[in-house]
Parts: sequence; C-alpha cells; structure tokens
Amino acid sequence: MRLRAALLAGAAALGVAAFGGTAAAQPRTTLNVGMAAQDVGRLDPHFAVSTIDRVAVAWMFNGLVRFKPGSINPAEIEPDLAERWEASADGRTWTFVLRRGVQFHGGFGEVTAEDVAFSLRKAAQSSTSAFSGDFRAFESVEVVDPHTVRIRLRENVPSLLGLVTNYAGGYIVSKRAVEQKGDAFMRAPIGSGPFAFASVTPNQSLELAAHEGYFRGAPQIKRISYRFIPSDASRDLAFQNRELDINYGRAQTAWIERTRRLPNVVVDVFEPAELAILNINTRQPPFDDIRVRRAVAHAIDRSELVRWRGEAVAREGQSLVPRGYLGFTPDVPLPGFDQARARSLLAEAGHPNGISVRVIHTQLPEMLSAMQVVQQQLRRVGITLDLQVVEHATFHQQIRQDLSPLVYYAAARFPVADIYLTQFYHGRSIVKTPTAVTNFSHCAMADAEIDAARVETDPQKQLALWAAAQRKLVEAVCGVPLFETLLVFARYGNVDYGYELKGSMSLGPLITEATRFR
Amino acid sequence: MIGFAVRRLIAAAPTLIAVLTLVFVIVRIVPGDPALVILGDQATPEAIAALRARLGLDRPLHEQYLEFLFASLTGDFGTSLVTGRPIVSEVAAVLPHTLDLTAAAMLIGTVVGVPVGIWAALHRNRAIDVAARILSLLGLSFPVFVSGIFLLLLFALHWRIFPVIGNADLADPVDRLHKLVLPAITLGLVMAAYITRVTRSAMLHVLSEDFIRTARAKGVPWRAVVWRHGLRNALIPVVTVVGLYVGILIGNSVLTEIVFNRPGLGKIIVGALNQRDYAMLQGLMVIYCFLIVVVNLITDLTYGLIDPRVKHA
Repeated sequence: MRLRAALLAGAAALGVAAFGGTAAAQPRTTLNVGMAAQDVGRLDPHFAVSTIDRVAVAWMFNGLVRFKPGSINPAEIEPDLAERWEASADGRTWTFVLRRGVQFHGGFGEVTAEDVAFSLRKAAQSSTSAFSGDFRAFESVEVVDPHTVRIRLRENVPSLLGLVTNYAGGYIVSKRAVEQKGDAFMRAPIGSGPFAFASVTPNQSLELAAHEGYFRGAPQIKRISYRFIPSDASRDLAFQNRELDINYGRAQTAWIERTRRLPNVVVDVFEPAELAILNINTRQPPFDDIRVRRAVAHAIDRSELVRWRGEAVAREGQSLVPRGYLGFTPDVPLPGFDQARARSLLAEAGHPNGISVRVIHTQLPEMLSAMQVVQQQLRRVGITLDLQVVEHATFHQQIRQDLSPLVYYAAARFPVADIYLTQFYHGRSIVKTPTAVTNFSHCAMADAEIDAARVETDPQKQLALWAAAQRKLVEAVCGVPLFETLLVFARYGNVDYGYELKGSMSLGPLITEATRFR
Repeated sequence: MIGFAVRRLIAAAPTLIAVLTLVFVIVRIVPGDPALVILGDQATPEAIAALRARLGLDRPLHEQYLEFLFASLTGDFGTSLVTGRPIVSEVAAVLPHTLDLTAAAMLIGTVVGVPVGIWAALHRNRAIDVAARILSLLGLSFPVFVSGIFLLLLFALHWRIFPVIGNADLADPVDRLHKLVLPAITLGLVMAAYITRVTRSAMLHVLSEDFIRTARAKGVPWRAVVWRHGLRNALIPVVTVVGLYVGILIGNSVLTEIVFNRPGLGKIIVGALNQRDYAMLQGLMVIYCFLIVVVNLITDLTYGLIDPRVKHA
C-alpha cells in the first residue's frame, strides 16, 4: 500500500491525472484504432497495397459504387459517387451519372466527371498505380458532361462494377489536388470520403478529421487516431487499458477467446478470408511427375490445419479459389487425406524412400508456423522439406525468381474467381515472365476456360467455365488448397459501426458517417 | 580542447565515408526489391520496372553511389522510398524521443550502477557483493520485452499510473516526462546492471594497486583513498564503457521503443530494413554515424576531466 501511495503521489507530482478522469464525462468523438504496423506507406489510394494503408484509405475515399458497408458481396454493390449507371447491351460501354454537389476535402471543390476520368486513367497506368493490371480491358474513359462519365472496354470483364468500387484502383481522387500537390499527394491525399487526412506522425499515428461536408452527412465521429503499434502484446495491453477503441486482432482462437472474456468487448470475425495454398512448381523435378504432386496432396490433412489455426477463424480450403467468391465451386476432384496412398504414389514415382526438397519460406511468424505444420504432415509420408527461412521481402523476391519448388502463399482478392485464377494459374502470370504475377505452379492448362469466362456474358456459362478451370487445375495438382483464415478486429461495445460487420474489402472495419459511440 | 575536437571530427570523416559505402553496398546486396514492397504482390513487372525507374533504382550503381555521397555531404538525404516523406523531417520527428530515452537510461544506469558497483567492490565476496552480482546478472539476462511488459502490466494496467502508448507530445514537458518514465527504467536497469559490473571490476583492480596501498600506509583516510584515488582511476574504464554503450543504446533501444510504442531511431531503422527503404536506411546511417562520432568525442573529452594526465594537445 505504501508503494502504491508513493507511486500515485509521484504521478500526481507529474501533474498527471489517472486515466478515465474527466474525459469520461464528455461525449466521446475521437476514435482510437490500433493497427499492427510500423507506419503507413503511401496514402495515394492507387498505391495503398498493405493492410494498414488499405484500411485507412477506405475512410478517406469513395468509388463510383461501393460495397454495402459490412459486406463484400458483389451482388450488394450500391451507388457511391455515381447515383446511377447503365451498360450497353454488349456490356462494353458503361455510363455513370454522378451525384451533384459532392465535395472533396480541403476545399478542392466538387467531384466531377473530370476527376473520375482522371482517377481511372491514373489507376490504369503502371507509373501511377499499383493496380494497373486490373484495368487492362479499359479502352477509354470519357467525360460526357461535368456529371457523366463513360467507360469503354476492349473486351468484357467479369465485374466492371468491381473495378470502380471503393477498392484498390477504384478510388476517386481530386485531379486538382494530384496536379497541385505532385509527390506530396501520397503523403497528404485529398479524397471525398467521410474522413479527411489531418496529419501523420512517423511511426506513431495517422490523424483523420471528420469531413463535415460529406455528402451522406457529417460523421458522428469527429476524429480518428490511427495508431501504429507493431507489438501484439503492447497493442493488446493498450486495448485492455482502453487507450484503443478498436484493435487489430490475431487470427487465433486463443486470442479471440481471451479477448472476448474482457468486459464489454466484441470480437468481429469477418470476410474476406485469405486462402492459403501450397503451390507446386509443375516444371521442377520431382514435382514434374504428377504422382509426386498427388502424394503431396494426399499427405495434407486440412482438418488438422483448421484445428491448429482454430475453428473460430479458419475453415478448410475446398478449391483453388476461396469460398464465397463468384465462380467458386466445391465440385472439384480434391485428393483426400490418405497417407498410405501418398506413400504408394511416391513409391510408384520411384521414390520408395521418400524425397527431400529445399523450400524457401518467410520468417513471418503466422506463415512460418503454418508451414511448419505442413512440413510435419509431409514428413509423415516421407516428404522432407528443408525450410530455408528468409526475411519476408527476400521471400517475395526469391519465390518470384522461381527459387522454391513449393510456395506457401495466402491471399485474398476481389471476390470474383477470374482475378484469383488469372493471377495464380493463368499462363500469362507465370513467374519470371514479362507479364508475371503470382503463378508459381507454371500451370497454363486452364487458360482457355479462364479467358473465355472473363468475356462470357451469360452468367451460367461463365460459372461453368470457371468451374471447369478449377477442376482442371485441381486435377493437375497445380496447388493444394490448405485453409482459409478470416479477419479479426476487436472493439469495445460502445463503438457502433452503424452496420453489421460481416465483411470488408478494405481488410478492416469501415468507419462511416454513421459510426458512433453509444 | 576545441582544436582537439575539430581534429577528431576531421579524422572521423574517412570512417564515416567507409561506413556509408558499406551501408550503400549492403542494402543493395540483401535480396528484396523496394519496388515490390511498395507495389505489393499483385504488381506487374511493368509496374515494378516503372517504379524502379522513378525511384532511380535502375541507374548504374556508381551513379547512385556518387549521388548518395554528394547528397550526404550536403545534408540532403532525400525522401523515403516507401512513404515519400523527407528523411530529415522523419528523423527530426523521432530524434528527440531517442535522445530523451538514451539520456534518461544513461542517467539511471549511471546513478544506480556506479554506486552499487563501488559498494559491491568495497564489500567483496560479502552478502552485499553477492546480491549486487546476482541482481546485475538478472538485469542483463532479462530481455526488455519481458521487463517492459511486466512494468506495463503493473503500472499501466493494474495501477493505471502510466499509459501503454508512449508517444509523447514533445511540446508538453510533463507529458514527455510522464511517458518517458517506464521505458527509461526498463532500459536504464539494463545499463545499470552493465555499469555495476564494470565499476565493480574496475574498482577491485584499482584497489589492489600499489599506490592505494601506499596511500593507506601513509595514513590517508579510507574514504579519501576510495573516492579520491580509487574511484577517479576506476572511472576511466567506466566512462569508456558508458560511451560505447550510449552508441549502442541509440540504435538498440528498438525493443524498448516497440514495447512502449515510442517513436525512435531504432524503430525506424528496423522498419526501413524490412521495407528495403534504401534511401531511409542510408540517411539514418549517416545520422547514426555522426551521433556515434559525437558520443566518442564527448567520451574522449571526459577522460581529460577525470584524469589530468590525459592531454588533448
């Protein structure tokens, strides 16, 4: 007691009131959000690729259309900056009519068709956007009048609305701000969303202020303090201490259960899930022999992986496309868990004593631990993985140089099968080629189906083509789907998002004009 | 003394250039492409090539090197490849936090470590000495992410005296001091443990010297022998160690910064390394080297104050 008294006296001497003092009496309008990151990167939304950046730009920018808050269902896309739109009969010309009077932050004026055309052209250029590849089918973006914009496509795309939604390259920026600010735009961007950039303190926080002129109404939250706290333990302590209202969570059942036991805390587990796949290079021995690839597939026990990750956040992978994506099918010939079959396949392929493979993998704890479980499962059938653990940036570079015959990769994409299939399993995306993305398996046997599905206008035929592509790729064991991991955020019960959080394409909770403290 | 300082700074120039060259080469040898880090995993080779060109990473290495050297000499470190923010302003924003933490930890380390070390040496092999040795061993063995979390649990969560998030408002001295206490104690205790051991060892060595025996034989009081003759001589290695440790502290306080969520140089260095932010790393290294040179200079100057035999001429 004497120690406590002395410490309290010391604190008083510093002129510091204990937490939870007078502030509790006033209505709260500042939302403190904790994020597992060192710092934000580029705040130009067309360069926002990391989770920390994506979460923040979603609060500052709009698209022509948007996912209904709390949902990632493309069928629930609704108007955002555009109040209506129409498509030509062939689906290659889309005309969007903008809302009138929507204002950019900082007095940069009204959102016009010029801004929209500028933004989409910027998003489509490799020098000004990280998402230029998504806009390959764009032929032109024309300004019809100050509030009407027309997009012409070279070929049909599976979801044009998906490209102009509040996600990735679909965000609309102020043309005048980009031209006026130049490189400074990425540090202090101008959007039209409910929150405006206020300041950033390196390695500490990004501060956003309410956009009082927001077209859906002034936000009820007046300020967001987005805190960068890389240490999980420190972030959790800050959340428990109520220094944070919302906390980036860990995709672990133990963490979720522990956090849910805190008084008045809600843990949201939501889409999109990241699908982890063990991609197999079908050109490199011994995996150029399909029997060896099938042995790998039979050795994987997905249910064990899900139990290890935790059933609250993980579910079994069922195909080479994540569940719930438009075009996903569970109707694929996925090899079941069968260790005896795996051993006999290895023996048939001339490896009765098993094989040993050198595999490059990242040191990121979540990915490393998952790979160690896979390593253990494969070892049981005689496949020994010699894991070369490297730093994460090195991992990304080396797997793109084809230096690893097996590549564990977990990713979430726009929820349409075309993007996943094209980036991971189309011949055009094979690593170490001029058009490479993330095809580590070197598979190209489903290119015809993927290409045909992309431009198919009949939804049923399109689904059938995507299903056929998945069957071919699974049959050839280009990759072994492992498990899907959902996103996790915790919040105090007095934080009301204003919608039910079931999904978020920005990978974090959307803070809207309706978000408030109860 | 001024001439000595100027000569030392000039003599440090080749070291600085050698270190900069080494940093320039190492960050480029390490695999990992900053353009890929910036653009993310969906980037096309075309987009990556465009960004590399924009960042100047596609130019010949010797061109990049010369530009970097020239820019460093003029104090222009450019902008971060990742955030696009000026490096000087990034460093200026965090440097006061780093200096606060380093100075406070050094103060705690010295104020605790030197007396305890002397005390232990004067009571060699007795209970006090054994206790001091065990405690200093514990201090060195306890990683700051354990002791830091423990302090947070106690003082932030249980007693709610200090906050968990330690990013202080530099313009508010009370807030600055308030948020410095726990990190400074965490890091200061490690330093205290180190200084205790060095002081104890130095004192034991000095106390066994002939001149101490002579002083005692001449009837000099024990207190004067210890403070005037023993400690003064023992402080030379202690100052050396403190000087070296301050340099290490500036860069190695990263764990403390992460646990207490404080901004700082160490945290930026780690972030820049993870993101392959060459420009930031290079800029940070220039500043870091400069700080080390200054700390070493201060250490050398301090020798003269402690020991009149050390001349700076």
